[in-house]
This record gives sequence, structure tokens and C-alpha cells, in this order.
Amino acid sequence: MKKLSVTVFLLNSLYSLTAFASPELMPNMVHEKVLKNGLKILVKEDRRAPVMVSQVWYKVGASYEYDGITGVSHVLEHMMFQGTKNLEPGEFSKIIAANGGQENAFTGADYTAYFQTMEASRLEVSLRLEAERMQHLNLQQKEYEKELQVVMEERRLRTEDKPQGQTYEYFKAMAYTSSSYRNPIIGWMQDLKDMQLADLAQWYQRWYAPNNATLVVVGDVDAALVFSLAEKHFGAIPAVSFAPIKKRVEVPQLGVRRGIIKQTARLPYVLMGYKVPVLNTADKETDVYALEVLSGILSSGNSARLNSRLVRGQQVATSVSAGYDLNARLDSLFLFDGVPADGRSLQELEKAIITEIDNLKTTPVQQQELERIKAQVIAAAVYQKDSNFYQAMQLGMLETVGIGWQKEAEYLDKVKAVTAEQIQAAANSYLIEDHLTVVHMQPQPIDSEQGASHAQ
Amino acid sequence: MHSKLTVLIAFLLTLFTLQSQAVPTIQHWQLANGAAVYFVPTEGLPLLDVQLVFDAGSARDGEKLGLAALTSVLIDQGAGSLDAQQIAEQLDSVGARMGASSSRDYTSVSFRSLSDQQTLKTAWDVLTKVVNTPSFPVVDFSREKQRTLLSIKQREESPGTLAQLALYRQMYGPHPYANPIQGQYDSVEKLSVDELKAFHKKYYVGSNLTVVLVGGVSRQQAELLVDQAVGRLAAGEKAAPIATVDTPLNGAVIHQPYPSQQTHVLYGMPVLKHNDEDYFALYVGNHILGGSGFSSRIVKEIREERGLAYSAYSYFSPMLQKGPFMMGLQTKNESLGEAVKASQQVLTQFINEGPSEEELIAAKKNISGGFALKLDSNKKLLANVVGIVVSGAPLDYLNTYVQKVNALTAKQIQQAFQRRVSIKNMTLVTVGENKDANN
Repeated sequence: MKKLSVTVFLLNSLYSLTAFASPELMPNMVHEKVLKNGLKILVKEDRRAPVMVSQVWYKVGASYEYDGITGVSHVLEHMMFQGTKNLEPGEFSKIIAANGGQENAFTGADYTAYFQTMEASRLEVSLRLEAERMQHLNLQQKEYEKELQVVMEERRLRTEDKPQGQTYEYFKAMAYTSSSYRNPIIGWMQDLKDMQLADLAQWYQRWYAPNNATLVVVGDVDAALVFSLAEKHFGAIPAVSFAPIKKRVEVPQLGVRRGIIKQTARLPYVLMGYKVPVLNTADKETDVYALEVLSGILSSGNSARLNSRLVRGQQVATSVSAGYDLNARLDSLFLFDGVPADGRSLQELEKAIITEIDNLKTTPVQQQELERIKAQVIAAAVYQKDSNFYQAMQLGMLETVGIGWQKEAEYLDKVKAVTAEQIQAAANSYLIEDHLTVVHMQPQPIDSEQGASHAQ
Repeated sequence: MHSKLTVLIAFLLTLFTLQSQAVPTIQHWQLANGAAVYFVPTEGLPLLDVQLVFDAGSARDGEKLGLAALTSVLIDQGAGSLDAQQIAEQLDSVGARMGASSSRDYTSVSFRSLSDQQTLKTAWDVLTKVVNTPSFPVVDFSREKQRTLLSIKQREESPGTLAQLALYRQMYGPHPYANPIQGQYDSVEKLSVDELKAFHKKYYVGSNLTVVLVGGVSRQQAELLVDQAVGRLAAGEKAAPIATVDTPLNGAVIHQPYPSQQTHVLYGMPVLKHNDEDYFALYVGNHILGGSGFSSRIVKEIREERGLAYSAYSYFSPMLQKGPFMMGLQTKNESLGEAVKASQQVLTQFINEGPSEEELIAAKKNISGGFALKLDSNKKLLANVVGIVVSGAPLDYLNTYVQKVNALTAKQIQQAFQRRVSIKNMTLVTVGENKDANN
């Protein structure tokens, strides 16, 4: 009955670059199997230490939410630790702890994921418990009321009382119009206050099913054993049918957007973002890899342009960086953020960033600079192998956002193939003023007598 | 379903004792200039991780607060004939990473590179220059000083950071640990480049240095690398011991008003030096009290029972002199009274009564069963070896670790807490809108 497992060799190209990496010490095979109920299982055997990480990824997150229930994916993530049909609230964690494990979960715009890191022989404990909460979550009012308070405290800690965190929230809401990326992952405070247990129950019913999940196991495990244990524990969970998810694409941006956000803070802060495609959405994949390398040219390593020219050279910034996540599910933002140097203004810093973008548009990147970025990417791919967790995370994320885990194998070659001309073209196509959103955070005096000056 | 779960888990737990713990052997040698070297060869990844630890933390600042930290920031901003950009370019050209940072006790230079010969040579040559011939260019000094000053300003927009600073100030009074690692605005403003050079000359010396290497190189390679990078450093003088921390001052209650929605609550007192004989009892006790996430009492009481905070924790932080025991949480301003009362009760009860047998068994299972996770990457291995060697623990520390944890009794933990931690000597800091912690 079992489907054949597929074995794929990853990153061969990388290891041909490093003379003494021996393949038998560095197994890079991903074993894949899909159960009849649709649960996808990915296993990477890494025998450097007698440990394993097990992650269950669900295709649901903040970008699946709609107005009025923002934050529901994340609150549900919290409730997944608060009891099932066969487990008391907190018992899940207690069992993991008794087995020497560490566990947690995280929610993003495009995923909700749960993980346990354990000594490798405890794999079955993890799978059994995850299978239990995939199908038998017991949402209880008393636990919910308390946990909702915890989430609100989390929001206050990360957003209300963090000037840059809150600025980012307003910035996103301004940059996106119709895309669901406009909402905060943790949810708006009012939506949290209005949330009902029934909202969570519906969300759980709708998204928590084997055919909407990926199990990823990396570590000192045998793929065949993982498959058979997964079959044993998850095999009987019924698949559910899904209505296709609404696309909710971002409408074209028709001109630069500017905003000012006043915060109780000491240092001013600028955030800028250009609308850009990602792997999942791009017409031309080469554009995406060009943007990836472009972000490296600006911001990867201490020698990159923003540090070199804006922090050290012109001394217009005390910190500045660029960022691009090519693994998003929907069209995303190519971001810049920075804090001006003492005596320099937000306007000056913004102008200096724009000048760097203009340079990329007019002048091709030098070969040596390009090689430097590629060398960092190649080294980073080896560094990442020092962490089972990171390796599992890569596979889980690619699979969950819809790119497919196989794409990881192409990453290095695709990055290495990027040319100076492609970078220049990408800068000209995507980093254009009409698609830009800029926010200046203006610090307001910290006066404890005045009370909090937060907007919500 | 429930009973099946229990059976499976009971079965697995019996395996704990049978399982052999593979623990790496730490190789050790000493250089003529006094530098102590520790090396763990690893297989599987073509990587080398290195940390150079100088006994040159901010406790050595004297009156010049921020001196150690700013010196470490400048270390890679110019060396020999290379300027900051060239240093960065050479490292980036092979994907190597290098950084320096200071704590109260130490300044560390950390380094990571692929270990193939050509890559490593390029990166290691840069490290060698940075360690031996930093040039402290004035232009970079002025810039990094300004950046530090801004970062000091930025501390004031974080109630959590303000609480930490206030707690250290109160806990340590006249002791140098009282001061922020980065220094104060006024003190940093006055620092001169000559002071940095003098600090570097005095403290970045062989007899003040510990080198730890973990990765895919041979012993012979490791010896050559170390000789090249630090063999020519002057022996210098070993830094004088840091002043002892006096018997804890009486605790205080300090409130700092801040316009935030949450009040940050921090308790603390100085308790532990490295290698203290009470360490294991306090460590395992704290695991139960506030060091193990959802399993710990403070999280159960504050978060799981009452929904008062997202994060609640406690920890011991052993240092060269008595480092702090700390307990902390953040709660909306309106809940401050309830949170302080509940957390105080958790702490008092734990000191008075110690852990239950059941809690102790659970903690031992978690620590021993999770031992392999402490060493499952080169990065963690490096951190553990650094921790062992700078604290002066025996090199077989990891071999006896689980055994020592398993040998503890609830009584020993209770007694250790009663000897070492006292509510009376503990300072409570609150930073937030609420003005009365006991309302």
C-alpha cells in the first residue's frame, strides 16, 4: 500500500567546491513519502549527533486570515498546548520534557509549525503526540480565556512597547492594499479582544488535517522507520476537502506612499519597501534570484554596500540593512530599514539609500563584488548544516508556502548563475518609486508623567 | 489512547540509564606566552569554529566606563595595512565570519570559516592581523564611539533594558559589575583612542588569553593555526583578580516610571561564582523553579494558571565573581500587583520548601534525557567548551555531568537555596506605568 519513497540528492554542486567534503559523512538526501490521507513526510538523515528534530508544518498562517479574526492562527497555535481528548492541558509539554525534549511552535504569515528536538530514540513520542493534537484538540473555555491574555501580553511585549516593532506594523498596513500581508501575524489588539473560542474551533476544523500538513524529521533517524511510525500514528487520520484558498493578490501600486509614525522613542527610524515578486509568484524565476543577490550586494556581510558606504563612508547611518524573503507565498516587499547617524536626518538617510539603488540601476556590479556575495552564500549553506533545526525549517517552509522542498537543491546553482546584467535589470524593473512605501518614525519625548501615547 | 501513551513513555524512560553518552574529549596545550589552548576535533562538516577569550571584560573599565566594549568594537576596524573595508572584504570573499564582543568578565573574538586550506588561510590571515596589529584608526574610533552613544540612548526606549540596568546598579553597588557593559553616555563621550590602545596593550596578551577551537582540522593544523594567530602576542601580565562581591546588600524595591503598557518585573541578587560547589544543586533547583519553560513553577503559576505574562523565567548566571540569580516577567500595568504577589510567593515557597520528589524526578529526566542536545552541533560544542574552560571546571566536566545531576536529592536543593538565595537580600525592580508594586 505504501507509495515508493523518492530520494533526491541535494547540493551536489556545493560539495564539488569543497575539496575534502566526503559524501558519506554528509548525507544530503531527502526522503519523501506521502501517506494515503495526504500527509507529506520529508526525512533527512544526519548522523552527526544522536538527536533528531521533528516538525509538523500546517499550511495556514496570518495571510490566510480575514478582517475581524486577525491573529487567530497564532492564538490557535497557543491552544495546541492546552489539552486534547487524551491529554490534559500542559500534559503534552510534560511528556516531551520527561523525554529530555525541547519543544515549541511558531506562526508566520504563511505557516504554523510545531517542533520537538529530542534524543533520536524518542522520535515516536513526538509523532504520537503530534498525531493526537492534529485530530483531537480539546478547546476549553477556561484555558482559552487565560491563553488569550497570554497572547495579549505577547503583543504588548513585541509591539505596543517596541517602537520599531509598532512602526513595522503600521508600515505593512500602509504598504499593502488588498494583500493579506497587511495584517500583523499576532493580530490587531481589538481582534484579539473580540476573538471567540468558536473562531478557533472553526479554524482548527478547517486547516488542521493531514492533507494540509508536512512532517519533517531531520537527524539520526532511519527514513524507513520514520515512514512506518508516521503511518502508524497519522495513517488513520481522515483527509478533509479544501475549498481553494482565495487569491487576494495585491492590487498594483500606483505611486509612492509616505507616512509618519510618532512613537515614544529615542532614535528615529526609517522603513522602506518596494513591491516585488517571489519564487512562488514570479513570471521569471531569474528575477527573483537576481533580487536575492542584489540584497546581498547591499547588505550581506560587513563589506556590503550599505555598511561600507552609508555607515562607514558617508556616516549617514548608524545602522542600515536591506532584506528580501524570496520564500514568501505571495508578492512581498524588498525592505530597507535604518537609523540615522547622530546629527543626520531621516531624509538624508532615505536619500542615501535611494542613491545606492540608483547606482545599481545605472552601473553593473563588479565581478569581484559579485563573487564575494556568492562565496558567502556557498559558505552559509555549509554553516546551516550545523543545525538540524535549520535544515528541517528550510524543507518545511519551502513545502508549506507552495514552492516545493525540491527547490532547495537548486538554490546555490541559481544564485551562482546570477549575472551583473540581471541584477541591474532587476533593480530597474522592481525598485521603482511608484512601488515604494516609506515610513519615517519620529521619536516623541519619553515623558513618564504623560502616560502612554500609543495609538491603540 | 491515554493509557497507550503512558505505556510507551514508561518504556522509553527505562532506556535512559542504558544509553551511553558520547562525550567529546577536550585536548589542551599551552603556548610559551601563556595562552591556554583547547581543541575538539570534529568530523562531518568542513568547518572551523574558534573563540579567543581575553580576560578583558567591562569589569576592567575602572573609571572609564565602556572602555572594554569600545576596544572590542574597534578590533576589526583596522589592522596592519588593512582598513575596515579591506578586513571585511577579505573575510566576505571566503564567506568567513568574525566578530568581537564584551561581557562584564570577558572580551571574545569569535571566528567561523570553511576549513578547506585555501579558504581558511585567507580568513585566518585576517584574524591574525586583527589580533596582533589592530591599528585603531581615529576616523573609525570617532564613528564607532558615536554609534555606541546612540546605542546607549536607545537603551532608554526599552523598559526591559532599563530594568536590567537598574537591577545591576542596585545589586552590585560599588562593584564594577554594577555598570552597563557599554558604559554611560558621559563616560563613553570622554574616551580617547589612546585609552583604547593602552587597554588593548595591557589586556590582549598571551597570559590573559584562552583559545578554543572546534572543527574539522587535525591537531597538527590546529597547533599551526594557533601559533600563527596568537603565538607572537606578548606574554604580558595576567589581569589581577576582579574584586570580590561583598555579602549581598539588603534588597531594595525600585520603581522606575516608564510610559509602557507593560511593567517589567525583575528580581535579583548576586550568588554564584564559577565552579561553586552548590552549582549543580542550584542549577537543577532553578530548572524546576524557572529554567525549563512550561515545566517550571514560575511559568505554571504566572502564565499557565493566571495568564499574567508571555514570558516568565529565572536563572543563575555564574561569573568570575558572584554573578546574579534573576527572576523576571512582564505584565500589563494593571496586573502588576497580582504578578508581583504571585511571583514572590513562588520564590518564597521554593526557597522554604524546595522541590517535590516528583518535580525532581521530572527535572532529572529532562536534563539527562536531553544531554545529547547540548552537544549536537559545532556551535553548541564550542559554547560548552568555552564555558567549561573559562570557568576553570575540570575538562571531564561533561563526562560526570549527568551523574552529578542524578545524584542530587530534594533536600540538597532546598538547603542550597536556603544557604544562597534569600528574599531579604533580593532587589525588586519594576519599570512601567504602575507606581506601586504592592497595590
